[in-house]
Amino acid sequence: MAVVSIPGGGKADQLYVETRALRLQGFLLFLVSDVVLFSSFIFAYLYLRNSGQGWPPPGVTRPAIALGAVNSAILFGSGATMHYALENFKHGRFTQYARLMIFTIVLGAMFLGGQAIEYTTLFRDHVTWAGSGIFGASFFTLTGMHGFHVFCGIVYLGVLLLQSVHGVYDKNRFFGLTAGTLYWHFVDVIWVVLFSIFYLI
Amino acid sequence: MNLVVMEHIFAIVGGVIVFVVAAVALRNDWKTPGMDNQVFKLMLGLLAFGGVLAALTGLGVIGKA
Repeated sequence: MAVVSIPGGGKADQLYVETRALRLQGFLLFLVSDVVLFSSFIFAYLYLRNSGQGWPPPGVTRPAIALGAVNSAILFGSGATMHYALENFKHGRFTQYARLMIFTIVLGAMFLGGQAIEYTTLFRDHVTWAGSGIFGASFFTLTGMHGFHVFCGIVYLGVLLLQSVHGVYDKNRFFGLTAGTLYWHFVDVIWVVLFSIFYLI
Repeated sequence: MNLVVMEHIFAIVGGVIVFVVAAVALRNDWKTPGMDNQVFKLMLGLLAFGGVLAALTGLGVIGKA
């Protein structure tokens, strides 16, 4: 395989250089399709919310805002650790990279744990997916879908960590890690919107 | 100190840390070229915004209890 220089320094094989831009575009299109998926649910929720009288509907308990804020800080924090994990990998600091990746996975798991506590509290207050009208249906559908994305992200980051331990990536070829970071940031950014519409407005 | 107060403190501290870290990362990467880095900058900006939201919620400035 021919070895060529890549922008930003370093050497990589020809195939990697030629396909990297295409793979990046493909991955960004995947994220855009996910944005469309979330947007359709979010706009449906906002439309239904504004069609009713008062929000949340009478007899329905709002989720606890303090726990939501803590969960948000945990997930946003994991976005920051993921970003620095990639930066450390780019600069060849593998130990720091691995530590930050593990930290990111742990924070993601903590977020899911927080969500489980929140769901349990709501179930105890008789707020359910099927029995609490539009509020319950939209809250559990959107946060559940997001939680599933977080779960997939945790598995994805775990696979990336194992791959990097086994030398699949190096300082000059790490597209998988870039894609993983983009995915994790995407999950964070979606939560900014969900946190705002369910807890803040 | 009850659990709700601790949650508020954690949200404030966590939000501020996230904002500072995201803002510093954004500043460091500001001149980095490439499509992926442009997306990273957008997402870091939104992450910093999320940190502000979490901190303001912890302070009780925004959000409905």
